[in-house]
Amino acid sequence: MTDSELDAAYTALCEALAAAGEPAAMPLLARFALLAMVEIDDPEAVRRLIARAAAATEPR
Amino acid sequence: MTPAPGFVPYPFEFHRHAPPDPDVAAAGNGPVVPVVIVGGGIAGLTLALALAVQGTRSLVLEADDTVCTGSRAICFSRRSLEIFERLGVLGPMLAKGLPWTGGRSYYRNTEVLRFEMPNDRRQKLPPMINLQQYLVEAYLVEAIGRHAGLVELRWQSRVTGLVAGAGGDGPVELDVEQPGRSYRLRADWVVACDGGRSRLRDALGLKLEGTAYEGRYVVADIALRCDLPTERLAWFDPPSNPGSTLLMHRQPDDIWRVDYQIGDGEDAAAAVQPENVLPRVDAHLRMIGLGRAWSPIWITLYKANALTLPRYRHGRVLFAGDAAHLVPIFGVRGANSTIDDADNLAWKLALVVAGRADPALLDSYSDERVQAAHENLAYGRKSTQFMAPPDFAFRTMREAVLALAVETPAVRSLINPRQSSPVRYVDSPLNASREEGHGDEAQPEPAAGSVLPSCPVRWLDAADGERPGHLADMLQAGRFVVVHFAAEGPVPPAWRELQKQLLDECGVVLRTVSVRPGTDRSDADLRARDTDGDAAALHGASPEAAILVRPDGHVLGRWESAGGAPIGAAIRTCLAGGPGRLERA
Repeated sequence: MTDSELDAAYTALCEALAAAGEPAAMPLLARFALLAMVEIDDPEAVRRLIARAAAATEPR
Repeated sequence: MTPAPGFVPYPFEFHRHAPPDPDVAAAGNGPVVPVVIVGGGIAGLTLALALAVQGTRSLVLEADDTVCTGSRAICFSRRSLEIFERLGVLGPMLAKGLPWTGGRSYYRNTEVLRFEMPNDRRQKLPPMINLQQYLVEAYLVEAIGRHAGLVELRWQSRVTGLVAGAGGDGPVELDVEQPGRSYRLRADWVVACDGGRSRLRDALGLKLEGTAYEGRYVVADIALRCDLPTERLAWFDPPSNPGSTLLMHRQPDDIWRVDYQIGDGEDAAAAVQPENVLPRVDAHLRMIGLGRAWSPIWITLYKANALTLPRYRHGRVLFAGDAAHLVPIFGVRGANSTIDDADNLAWKLALVVAGRADPALLDSYSDERVQAAHENLAYGRKSTQFMAPPDFAFRTMREAVLALAVETPAVRSLINPRQSSPVRYVDSPLNASREEGHGDEAQPEPAAGSVLPSCPVRWLDAADGERPGHLADMLQAGRFVVVHFAAEGPVPPAWRELQKQLLDECGVVLRTVSVRPGTDRSDADLRARDTDGDAAALHGASPEAAILVRPDGHVLGRWESAGGAPIGAAIRTCLAGGPGRLERA
């Protein structure tokens, strides 16, 4: 993915979340994460990504 | 301007200009002025200078008695500097401005991004300089003074009405007011450079379209001596100002720009009060270890908009700069797109005023610069969505990016500000490629509509003496240039005949340039030695390639091998304002 493709994907997700509204955004992200797991199709990679996402939630 | 208590003035003498002699002004009822420029800010001054260097007269009406107060725009892009160089005003700007190439972003206290703008040894000019707008305007006024016979700059002269003729064939009539006097002026062409609250826009009943609200920002200039380098500094949610996004830029003369967004609930009038601004700035300077040794100079509130007129030509009235479009603060596209507007319009208007081109050529100014505005708005919008998230979704996702950025370099590009870059006029009616039967895909870069990239070459004089320079040095105000890339030998013989025809029939100057890897024996007007083949490679040039360049440095067309006919046709189509126009003519 190029920088501008990543940018476009990022904006598309932001817009989908905004359109869903705040209460429905978390379930939408959950569905997206599930679809991404299936697409990644690598249990070890998925485990690693979950650990990284969890570790990054508290910035310094 | 008396500074408020505790404030210090800008270290700059704002020269107050008198209004014109009333008798001179009253002569406004006399002959029709070819070009009246309403507004003497960056747009109006750049345009007047760009017309003057082509020998085209203009009259500039400025309501104020001095250059802008407050530093306003501070970042000027490489593209803007290239334009200023062609106008002969680059020297003082480069001497005074602070060049920079990149920046850093922090999330709370952690550096999450270090970025560099495109820059390499081929470049003659820095990607960006910081320079106060009042200095840029002062240098433009000074340069205009060297063309005294061609530009009349009337200070304290306010246009109060546009009377008639905007859409018709006759001249446009303007009512002008100066202290103690008002008069009527008639002009063949009027260019509205009268800023974001353009009176001419209102007078014609025109409305900007787009998003009228993209956030409000407190902008403060402060006097501060420190050793920090010149770069773009951004803090997201800093401990000094929790929840806010804050930017800092160094300007010449130990002045710093600090700006931050204010919340939707905050009262704007209260937000710009020194008692609310100064503690926030001070907290931040303390956080980065710069203590208390600073003084405020200027505080203002900036409302970001993402708006443009759908068209910039309305009969004999043209719009440029903020009068035509308002772009968000991030990405430094306001003043820079304004300078590009003036550069695009100047050569076209000069050709039309001289009777060398059809007025339809001015429609291409609108087509090209409206396209550029849409691009600038889209980029500005995207930057704003990151810098000042409009809702919970953009806020949540931005937090994710910032939290991951340290460990995950791949997401850092999302933090990178999309700084102003040259626009390619993809759909310009002037682009010659379309008629050539090969689509855009088939065309190597730089394709028609792009800015011709520059690189070092060695210019040869009549005695074959070599002088180092850059390819863009060949551009001259108001002149077309055709560049011939080949291993050796003369430029196509038909070009000499074409030059003569264009000059005799249309009064248009076409300069020929040859680029050769070795010593150049061609008969071109300018000869460049491209020792290591950089120029040919940069331009995707095959042997015998020809690239035709407009006076503003954009590519008009390119050919793998060209006689005189296609080049002549491309220039004639351009002078007619586009292919459709030529057929009708």
